[in-house]
Amino acid sequence: MTISMKLSPPITLSEASGRPLSLSQEPEPAPRPWYARFWRRPFFLLVILPSLIAATYFYGIAASQFVSEARFVVSSRGSEGGVAASMRGMAGGAFGGFGGGGASNETNSVRDFLTSLDAVMDAHGKLDLIAMWQRPEADWLSELWRTEPELLARFYNKMVTVSLDPSTNVTTLRVRSFRPEDSKALAETLLASAETLVNRLSERTRNETLRVARHEMEISEQRVQESRAALVRFREQERELDSAGAVQAAVALRGQLEVALAQARAELTERLKFMRPDNPALQATRNRIEALERQITSERARHTETTAGGDGAVLARQLATFERLMLEREFADRQLASATASLETARLEAQRQQLFLSRIVEPNLAVYPLYPRKLVNVASIVVGLTIAYGIGWLLIVGMREHAA
Amino acid sequence: MSLQGEAALILRGARMQSRVIGALIIREMHSRFGRHYMGYVWLYFEPLLLGICIGLIHAWRDRPAAFGAFEFHAVGYILFFVFRGILNRATMAINMNKPLLYHRSVTLPDVFYARHIIEFLSCTGVMLAMLFGLFAANGSLPESPLKMALAMIMMALFSQGLAFLASAVTAAVEGSERVVHAVTYLLLPVSGLFFLVEWLPDWLAQMALWVPTVHLFELLRDGQFGSRFRAEYDLGYIWGWIMITHLIGLAALRITRARIGLE
Repeated sequence: MTISMKLSPPITLSEASGRPLSLSQEPEPAPRPWYARFWRRPFFLLVILPSLIAATYFYGIAASQFVSEARFVVSSRGSEGGVAASMRGMAGGAFGGFGGGGASNETNSVRDFLTSLDAVMDAHGKLDLIAMWQRPEADWLSELWRTEPELLARFYNKMVTVSLDPSTNVTTLRVRSFRPEDSKALAETLLASAETLVNRLSERTRNETLRVARHEMEISEQRVQESRAALVRFREQERELDSAGAVQAAVALRGQLEVALAQARAELTERLKFMRPDNPALQATRNRIEALERQITSERARHTETTAGGDGAVLARQLATFERLMLEREFADRQLASATASLETARLEAQRQQLFLSRIVEPNLAVYPLYPRKLVNVASIVVGLTIAYGIGWLLIVGMREHAA
Repeated sequence: MSLQGEAALILRGARMQSRVIGALIIREMHSRFGRHYMGYVWLYFEPLLLGICIGLIHAWRDRPAAFGAFEFHAVGYILFFVFRGILNRATMAINMNKPLLYHRSVTLPDVFYARHIIEFLSCTGVMLAMLFGLFAANGSLPESPLKMALAMIMMALFSQGLAFLASAVTAAVEGSERVVHAVTYLLLPVSGLFFLVEWLPDWLAQMALWVPTVHLFELLRDGQFGSRFRAEYDLGYIWGWIMITHLIGLAALRITRARIGLE
C-alpha cells in the first residue's frame, strides 16, 4: 500500500472523492440476476424494507379510527380578559405595541381540565374507556396496552386533543376511537363534564362575590337593630322620649328664670331709690329675688350636677348618652344603606361574571375513518428513512476514505 | 461480498478519522490563538463577555418581568453564540485549510467537525460557568439541565448543517461570505433570543414557529425556567431541519471538494 502511494502521482482532491462507492470491493464471482443482488443492498434493507413494512401495516393491518369533533366557546356576559389583554399588550409592547387577543382564563382551565387525569377518570366512570380502546377490531399496535390510570391518561391524551384558537376563543375537541359511536359518546361525555366544570366555576365565583357583600349586610343589619334596641332601652329607663327636647325646655326655663330674676333685681334697685329700706314692698321684691335664685340654683343642680343619691336625673349625662345613641343609630342606618347598595352591585357583578359553555358544533357521528393517516405516515417514513440513509451513506463514505 | 471485511474497513476509517479530527483541533487552536495559554482563555472569554454584556444591557432595560432579565438573555446569548460562531467561521474554513486537503487523510468535513467541536465545547464550558455563577449569585438552578444540553447539541448540529451549506455556497459563489455574515446578524432579532413564543400575539407566534432556532430557544428556556411559562416547541421539526441540512450540506461538500481540486 505504501509503495503504491509513493509511486503514484500526487493525489488530487478530485481523485479522492471520485472513488467508486459500492460497498463490495471484490467483484462477484458469478454475477447473479439483479433482483438477487438487490435483496442484499443496504438501501433495500434499511429503507425499502422498513417502508414496505410500514405500508403493509398502515394499509393492511391498522384498524381504522373514527374522529368525532365538537367545538365550543366559554363565554361570560361581561367583557372579561381586560387585565389579561393589557398584560399581553405590555409584553408585546417591545415588538411594536400590538396587543393580541388573549384567551380567557376560563377557557384555558377548561382545556387543562379536559387533558387531566381527573377528566379521564370522570369519563371512565361514565363510559368504559378501557373496553372502548380495546375493542376486538383494534389492532395490536394502536390499541390501549396498559390500563393503569396514569397510562390510560397518557393514551387518552393521544386519542383526545383539545386545541384552543386564541384569536376566536373557540375550543376544538377531537376524539378518536375504533367505532364512530364510541367517539361520539366520549365527545358527548367530555362536553358534559366540561359544562359541569364551567357551571361549578361560575357558581363558585358568584358565591364568592356575593358572600362578602352578604356578610357586610348582616353586620350592618345587626348594628341597626342593636342601636334601635339601645335607644328603646334608654327611653324606658330614663322615662324620657327626647333628651334633646328636655334640655331645650330646661334651657328655656332657666332663661325665663334669669329674665325674671334680672327684672326683680332691677325693680329692687329702682325702688331703693325712693323707698325706705324697711318698706314692706321692698321685702316682697327681696323675697321674690331669693326665691328666683334658689330656683335657678336648684335647676342648675338638677341638670348639671351629679346628685349624691345616684338616682340622679342629671340632664347632662342623659343628653350625652342620648346623643351617642342617636349618632349610633344614624351611623348604623348609613352603613345599612351602603351595604345594601354594595350587595346590589355584587349581585350585578356576579350576573355579569356568569360563565357559559356554548356549543358551536355538536359531536358528529363519523362515517369515514380519518385516522390513521396512511399516506402521510408512509410518505414521511419513506422520506425520513431516505434522508437518514443519505446522511449515513455520506458519513460512512467519509470514514472509508480515511481507511483507504 | 464480505460484510465483516467491510465493517472492519469502516471501523478502521472511523478510528483514523477521529485521530485526524483530534489533530485538526490542536492545529486549529494553535492557528487561532497562538501557543500562549492565554489564547485558550480567550476561547472561553469571548462568549462569556458577550453574553454578560447582552445580559447586562437587558437587565438594565428590564423587559421580561417573569424571569431575571440577565439570566434570560445571558444564557440565551450563549446558545446563539453556538450558532453564530459556527456559521460565521464556516465561510473561511475552506480557504484557511486548503493546503491541508492535499493530505490524503484529511477530508473537507473533518475540518468542519474539528471547528465545530471547539465551538461547542467552549460554549458548553461557558454555559456551565454562567449557570454556576448564577447559582452562586442568586441560587437559581436550571430546572432541567438535560433539556438545556439537548438544546445546545441540537443547535450545534443545526448550525453544522448550515455551515456545510454556507461553505459550499461560498466556495461556489464569489463574495457570498458577506451575505452569510449579514444573515447571521439579521437572524438575531427573529432567532428567538429576545422573546418567548408565549409573549407574541397569535398570528406572529404562528410565524415565529416556522423559524427553527425559535424552537431551540424555547427548548433551552423550558430547561431553564420550565414551570414559569408554557414552552412551545417541536423537536421533530428541528430534527427535520438538521437532517435535511446535513444531507444537502455533506453532498455539497463532496461536490465542492471535487471542484476545488480542479484548480
